[in-house]
Amino acid sequence: MTAILNPRLVGAELPQPGALAIRGLNKAYRIDGRPLPVLQGIDLQVLPGEFVSIVGTSGCGKSSLLRLIVGLEREYDGQILLDGEPVRGPRLDCGLVFQDHRLFPWKTVWDNVALALKHQRLSRREKAERVDEHLALVGLTGFERAYPHQLSGGMAQRAAIARALITRPKVLLLDEPFGALDALTRIRLQAELQRIWAQQRSTMIMVTHDVEEALYLGDRVIVMEPRPGRIRHEVQVDLPHPRERNAPRLQNLRDELLRELTGD
Amino acid sequence: MPVVLTRLSVFASPLALVLAWLLLARFGGFPAQLLVPPQEVYQAFVELLQSGELREHLANSLSRLALGFCAGALGGLLFGIAMALSETVEAYCGPLFHVLRQIPSIALIPMFILFFGVEETFKVVVVAKASFFPVALAASDGVKGIPRRYFEVAEVYRLPLPSLVRDVALPAAAPPIVTGLRIALSRAWMVLVAAELLAADSGLGQMIEMSRQMMRIDIVMVGVVLTGLVGFTLDHGFRLLERRLLRWRDTP
Ligand SMILES: Nc1ncnc2c1ncn2[C@@H]1O[C@H](COP(=O)(O)OP(=O)(O)OP(=O)(O)O)[C@@H](O)[C@H]1O
Ligand SMILES: [Mg+2]
Repeated sequence: MTAILNPRLVGAELPQPGALAIRGLNKAYRIDGRPLPVLQGIDLQVLPGEFVSIVGTSGCGKSSLLRLIVGLEREYDGQILLDGEPVRGPRLDCGLVFQDHRLFPWKTVWDNVALALKHQRLSRREKAERVDEHLALVGLTGFERAYPHQLSGGMAQRAAIARALITRPKVLLLDEPFGALDALTRIRLQAELQRIWAQQRSTMIMVTHDVEEALYLGDRVIVMEPRPGRIRHEVQVDLPHPRERNAPRLQNLRDELLRELTGD
Repeated sequence: MPVVLTRLSVFASPLALVLAWLLLARFGGFPAQLLVPPQEVYQAFVELLQSGELREHLANSLSRLALGFCAGALGGLLFGIAMALSETVEAYCGPLFHVLRQIPSIALIPMFILFFGVEETFKVVVVAKASFFPVALAASDGVKGIPRRYFEVAEVYRLPLPSLVRDVALPAAAPPIVTGLRIALSRAWMVLVAAELLAADSGLGQMIEMSRQMMRIDIVMVGVVLTGLVGFTLDHGFRLLERRLLRWRDTP
């Protein structure tokens, strides 16, 4: 029975999953009973396997947008469709790396990452292998037994990235995943993320404050503006992956983007 | 300070107290029947120990404590969690709960004697009552205080209910609950000794009261000191357990 349903065997007949469609999305929080609009008229189509970067000033609703897509916020106007189905709550095939690491302080690094595998039908050994492999990937080998309070901010964030990657979701949302990292680790993890993305062909949407990072990784960069949060501008990064970090085309786009972000 | 000295510093204040007691008994001019010198108290302690009397009193007190504390703490835990999870339970039982918990357990002893008689039941009920309220309060606050962000992580990873309880809710609520249990145990012990003072045919409190009536102040002192030591041991044991259970916290 699996032979028929296996997309690899069916080939191009089945569309690859991981498509996101957002239409006319409005979101308001209530503060003191009064509505505070945070997102207004968001329209966004993300193709399966696409890498989309989102940049924008602090408070313009980037985290809110990711929370809506992952299904943590259930009150909104408009449509959010994942593979054609309206999002009604968190689903296993859509993962999120929170802006704060959100590791459980009472669990070791290893147990925190392993908890994400609750739903996978894996043997104990396979699970252990996968956890070890992902901890090695983010450079946390040797810290398996450490508790989160014994980690630095960047190490905790890396553990959180490992926790999100290990489930291999079709759509992965990343909220400033490399914000707390030094330049070197950041560059290494960017390359790793790109490799994983290419290998798993999953859809990724990453919020970042780093314009170069946004351009280096993204097929597309979305620029948002605040109060209320809207999409102001979109840049197609028409360069094949993997990219040369200091390609002239990226430099040009960076200058353009920075002008867009700073000059009103 | 050298480690040895730090270790020994624990004993400084008790030794000073015993010394002061010794001096006061000898030179203070109090009648020896009222302020019994420490060596006589120790003598009485050894005698009580050898006759097996002390062990019986202690065993009786501790078994009442165990029974009442387990019942009260378990009930408090369940009730507290129910109050945290259900607005209905909170609305119907909350106000009464908060009024009742203001009544000192000791003030209820006369009433409990009327209801349950002077036998075992009343003592166990008093201990259970004294344990119930601190645990219920801690459990309710502990469960209500679980940060929502942890549940969001659990949601994103679609943790099934048993895992949600075991891996997220329980450990998140554990610190205040364990502290509540420790406080409850301390209070339960104090209330139990008080109850035994008023009405009992055995137990540490009864030993104190009987000896007072017979003017055996040395035995009274044995009872008082032991009450303190037992309470301290229980509390200290719980603290060790607390530290072991909550070693993931950065504050020891
Ligand atoms: N739970 C909430 N209740 C009320 N207002 C909220 C809530 N969460 C976010 N907001 C408001 O929504 C707006 C957008 O917040 P959001 O966290 O999405 O911004 P952001 O773009 O991620 O900012 P940053 O770059 O600083 O992380 C802010 O004005 C914030 O005050
Ligand atoms: Mg944010």
